[in-house]
Parts: sequence; structure tokens; C-alpha cells
Amino acid sequence: MTVPAVIAADRITKSLGGLPVLDGVSLDVGPAEIHALVGLNGAGKTTLMRILLGMPAPDRGSGSLAGVPVSGAGARTWSRLGQMLEAPFAYPELTVRENVYSSARLHGMGRKDAGSAPEAALNSLGLEEYAARRAGTLSLGNRQRLGLAAALVHRPTMLVLDEPGNALDPRGVIVLRQLLQDACRASGAAILVSSHHLDEVARMAGRISVLHRGRVIGNLQPGTVDLERQFFDRVLRADQQRSDEQRSAAQGPGQP
Amino acid sequence: MRTSGRALEFEALKFRRAPVVRTVSALIAGGLPALAAAFMVAANSAPSSLIGLKAAAMVTTAGWAGYLGMVGMLLSVGALMGIGFVVCWSFGREFTDKTVGGLFALPVSLRRLACVKFMVILPWSLGLCLACVATALLAGSVIGLGVPGPAALEAAGRALCAGAMAALLACPLAVVASVARGYLPGVGALILLVVANQVVTAFGAGAWFP
Repeated sequence: MTVPAVIAADRITKSLGGLPVLDGVSLDVGPAEIHALVGLNGAGKTTLMRILLGMPAPDRGSGSLAGVPVSGAGARTWSRLGQMLEAPFAYPELTVRENVYSSARLHGMGRKDAGSAPEAALNSLGLEEYAARRAGTLSLGNRQRLGLAAALVHRPTMLVLDEPGNALDPRGVIVLRQLLQDACRASGAAILVSSHHLDEVARMAGRISVLHRGRVIGNLQPGTVDLERQFFDRVLRADQQRSDEQRSAAQGPGQP
Repeated sequence: MRTSGRALEFEALKFRRAPVVRTVSALIAGGLPALAAAFMVAANSAPSSLIGLKAAAMVTTAGWAGYLGMVGMLLSVGALMGIGFVVCWSFGREFTDKTVGGLFALPVSLRRLACVKFMVILPWSLGLCLACVATALLAGSVIGLGVPGPAALEAAGRALCAGAMAALLACPLAVVASVARGYLPGVGALILLVVANQVVTAFGAGAWFP
């Protein structure tokens, strides 16, 4: 029996400013799974995640969350999702605790639960000593930790995280990995995560998809050796295939 | 309704903590009446001095009516500038500070968040204008204008209306800040609005221009 996907992209195509960014991308994340998306800068990772969060609509194809199309997702669906894209949820004028509390409230938690939830979220990310400090005074790495705390505070069953390891120190990366794996195990969360760091995703993800020039060009097997070499082999092969296709198209039909 | 309550709590918290809101509140509720009182003293005590002559040009009649008329005049421009700046900041900062990404994929829609911003800004604006007029009445008594009578209260009401109307005039700046994705374009539009206001008034069409 196939387990239904919790987060799914179905043949998503998107152009921005006339340039194709995504070209028929399909992928899925099952319950209690971490699916990593790796690719070079400009591969389309962030755009795909934005579409899955309902920011821009795709030109073609569709995304779904817990079986609900993204375009029709309501408060119930969104309350089960945590996300961190581009910039962490960190209002500089609010304290660290107030930021996490606000995120919990906006995700539908009651006042009492939201009042106590930041404690655990901040402790798990080693931010307890900064709880009363203004977010604007934090270092880049601690702002990133705050964004993660805000994304995780309401114990979501779906998580979409764009480069969550950015600016984190080695200890922060380990904490992040443990947190995501715990979220998977404890609440069966489906997690879609993007990264440039192959070592990092190889240690946390169950599946790794390679996105290149808006297309999924293959998978990497976590736990295997020399992922970097495998990654660049796939990228090179995809580029050669693309050049061959362009050459054939330029020569026209019937040409060898 | 419940999501609106949560959004209102969130926006009100950001608003309360914002240094820009505190600064504008202090300038309009305290600085503006103090300035009007200082002009009144200059116009009465040193009418031949440079500042006295300038101040006298703004005081059309003697006593409370003239003083509160000047407060209304200052408040109409001050409220437009101050509240306009806060409107631009409140909407544009989500783009400038890149916090807008965190407002997507929430049980609360962006449209509702925008409405809630106005639900915070408009009562604050009204309260601010009230505080300004109340401080002006107090300052008027301190500078020796005596106890305000019914005519003074009528002038105070007009000043309050001028401030409230200016606050409403500042609201469309939220659209500029949102469409242009930052508070600086909104502030640019605000300056343009104030300059246009001055030019139109100088050409004698002030009665027909907000």
C-alpha cells in the first residue's frame, strides 16, 4: 500500500520575468520523512518552496498539502504547517520570546498554550538566555535559530525550510538536525528542506532530490560516499543533455 | 473572528514596541502643543521680534480661539506627516525588513492582516489627536490664556477634526508602500502630498483641497 504524500508538487512549471525557473517539477514528502532538495544557486529551490506555500501561483501544475490543493488551503491546513523562507520570523522591535509567542498565536494556538510554548522551543535551540532580548540585537546565527523556533513552536506536521542551516555554527547544525529528526519521529512531520550543504543533508534526510535549472535531474542516496562527486556528475550530465537537445533543435529535424 | 483577534494582538504588540510610533506620539502629543504655545507667547510678548512677527501671522484672532486655530493648523500638517510616516512604516517595513515571508502560509490571510493594521493605526491616530488637543488646552492655561470657554472648546473640536481628517488622508499611503514594497516610496508619496497641499493652498484653492 502506498502512503499518501503530505507535501506534493505535481508537474509545477513557473517563469519569472519571462525566464523559465521551474520546468515540470514533481516531488513528494511522506509522513515522518525528511526530503532534501539540493541544487546550485538559481536552481529553483526557493521558487518551488514559495509555490508550495501559496506565495506565487504556478503557471502550470499544482501543489498540495495534506491532500489539500495549495490554492484552496484554509486555516486548518496552514495551522499545521511551519515554514522559514528567505528571512527568519524575527521582528527586531520584539523580544525573542515575543517573536516566538506571536508565531504560535498566528498559527492558531490559544493564549495559554502560546504563553508556555516559547520556553520549550527556545530551550531546544539554546536561546533561553536571549529570551528577553530584542531580536534586533541578535547575531545572524541566533536570528536564524529564532526563525527555526518560530517555525517549530506550534509542533507542525508539515515543515518547509529553505536553507535552515544558514549562518548556524557547527553546534547549531547538529541541534537543527536533531530537532528535525525528532519532529519526524515524535509527530510524524513531513519535512521539505533545501540546502547547498551535501554533508548536512546526507546526515538528516531520508531522500535527496537534485534540482538543476528548474528540473529534478535525479536523486542522491543518503549514506553513500562522495555525494559531492555524485551531485556534480548529475549536474554535468544534465548540462550535456541540455546542450545536445539545444544543438539538435538548432539543426532542425532530419539532421544527424 | 478568532484569527482576527490573534492578528490584532500581534499587530498591536509590534505597534506598541516600535520606536517610530513612540517618537511620533511624543512629537504630536507633546512637541506640537509646546511649539504652538511658544509661538503664542512670542506673538503676544515680543510682537516686533522676527519670531513674533512670524508667529503673529499664524494667530488670526486673540485669545483661545486664535491659539487653538494655530494648533489646528499645525496639527493638520503634523498629523499628516507623523501618521503618514507611521502608515508607510507599518506596511512598508514588512518588505524592507523582509518579514513579509513569515506572514504567508498562516491561518490569518494577508488581507486580514492589512485590515488589522488599520484597526490599530486609526484608533491610535484619533487618540493622538485627542492627546494633542488636551495638551494644547493645558499649555494654553499655563501661558495665561485663562479658563477655556465654549468658543475655545469649539476651536478645539475643529483642531481635532483637522487632525482626524489628516489621519484619514494618510491611509492611502499604505497602498503606495505595499505596491512599491518598502516604506521609502510611501514616504516619498507623503512628501509629494504635503508639497502639493502647500502649493494648492498658496494658489488660493486650499478650501477645495484636503
